[in-house]
Amino acid sequence: MNDLILSGILKKDDPLSVVDALILAAIGIVIVFVVLIALMLIVSLVGKIFDSSDALQQKHPEWGQKVNDFKAKLMFWKKAQPAEEAPAEEVPALANGTCGELTLVNTSERDAAMIMAIVADSTGTPLNELRFKSIKLIEEEQK
Amino acid sequence: MDIGKILENLWEGSGYNLFGKDGGWQSIVMIIIALFFLYLGIKKKFEPLLLVGIAFGMLLTNLPALDGDKLFHPDWWTVSDIDYLEILRHGGLLDILYIGVKTGVYPCLIFMGVGAMTDFGPMLSRPSSLILGAAAQGGIYLVLILAAATGMYSGGEAASISIIAGADGPTAIFLTKELAPQLLPAIAVAAYSYMALIPLLQPPFMKLLTTKKERMTVMAATRKVSKKEKIIFPILVTIVVGLLLPSVAPLLGSLMFGNLLKECGVTERLSDTAQNALMNIVTLFLGISVGATAVGTTFLSAKTLVIIVLGLAGFVLATICGLLIGKLLYVISKGKINPLIGSAGVSAVPMAARVSNTVGLQYNKGNYLLMHAMGPNVAGVIGSAVAAGFLLAVFG
Repeated sequence: MNDLILSGILKKDDPLSVVDALILAAIGIVIVFVVLIALMLIVSLVGKIFDSSDALQQKHPEWGQKVNDFKAKLMFWKKAQPAEEAPAEEVPALANGTCGELTLVNTSERDAAMIMAIVADSTGTPLNELRFKSIKLIEEEQK
Repeated sequence: MDIGKILENLWEGSGYNLFGKDGGWQSIVMIIIALFFLYLGIKKKFEPLLLVGIAFGMLLTNLPALDGDKLFHPDWWTVSDIDYLEILRHGGLLDILYIGVKTGVYPCLIFMGVGAMTDFGPMLSRPSSLILGAAAQGGIYLVLILAAATGMYSGGEAASISIIAGADGPTAIFLTKELAPQLLPAIAVAAYSYMALIPLLQPPFMKLLTTKKERMTVMAATRKVSKKEKIIFPILVTIVVGLLLPSVAPLLGSLMFGNLLKECGVTERLSDTAQNALMNIVTLFLGISVGATAVGTTFLSAKTLVIIVLGLAGFVLATICGLLIGKLLYVISKGKINPLIGSAGVSAVPMAARVSNTVGLQYNKGNYLLMHAMGPNVAGVIGSAVAAGFLLAVFG
């Protein structure tokens, strides 16, 4: 009987007989296949779970809606906690060099930014040194 | 001041003088081999990132020097109880760098980078790729039998030689430094050289073992893999394989950790470091310190020559095993799987997958097999790590 079967383990410095090598090779390739086939099955299973979850969402969109409703309720419940537990609402800090706050009346932020840039350019004054109190859209009929 | 004595001492300590002493001719031969490898790396671009480092380490270590001036002391590393303190106190530069090889740190860090660069998506979208990755590892075990048949090697040496067929440098180094450190340079050089030669080695066998009809097979697009699946996969593999073969957990764990960094989407900086800066630094150290072990007195032997031959046989056998199972899957799938992707099961990523793609394109213009071949290719990395883990468990 060979060393492999007798001792159950081989020493790295001992010579390796062909019979031992054959047995080792057979066990080794079986182990490689077993491990990778096990991984294949797990991967397939995980893939199927994800695919079926996607398919279910497509088949029953109302379920997805229910989940979203539940999430919304959860958010509402969190917001409805006592004020002392909720973190204080953060007030956005003013950027360095800004001069106060600006009120926009019937004006989009984009238009306001353009107006401020034009004023700064035409007066040759840096934007952070200009102070705009409000920008209001004047309708044609008001003229 | 005795100028004559100073000059005499300089001559006594010079490498030119030591060439004439014991082992001098081996040093000359090794320097020629190192220059040849430098030529292959620089001019022929054979795995230059590693081969240039290996060749330069080989050159440095074979420049004759007195014991106190040596960059690498091979005798210090072959004892059963290595004195790391002594190495840190009196070792040469290459001795210090070699600590990373001996402790298995470099192969693991390289694997972390490989993991961060690898997309397991193609394999996850076609799980049968894992079978092809397993099949190609047949080459490892066939070489184990061949190495045993030569009667020249111990069990640990035969196991280390067999892992060349896995076509995976870090795994080969990880196993060899444990089971047969004296063969490390020959095995590392053989593994990296044959990996570079894959575009020449594989195609003749791919054409020999497949029919034209099989080679022309167009594979259908596979399912889209979700991000969640990609995140779950490295964690699953670490648990499943790490529990079964703890001996390979450092290597496979590093591979999967690197991949998790890439896929989780919240550690871009770490992923970037693993696949670029860290990978480059470790490749530098690994190459030069592995090359340093190629000392003429031990490297120039019949054993090395047989390792070169067995390594070549290993690559060929691994390719054949992958192709044969590829053909089997072609039959089972009723012609839906191109058997050419079987040869990509040898884990040389992404070289083997590119070869499958190139051969496929030769027979059917527009038949791009690259993404299909990447599945078996990355599965082969896992397969060779599992094979190494088994051999470590038996001989370690």
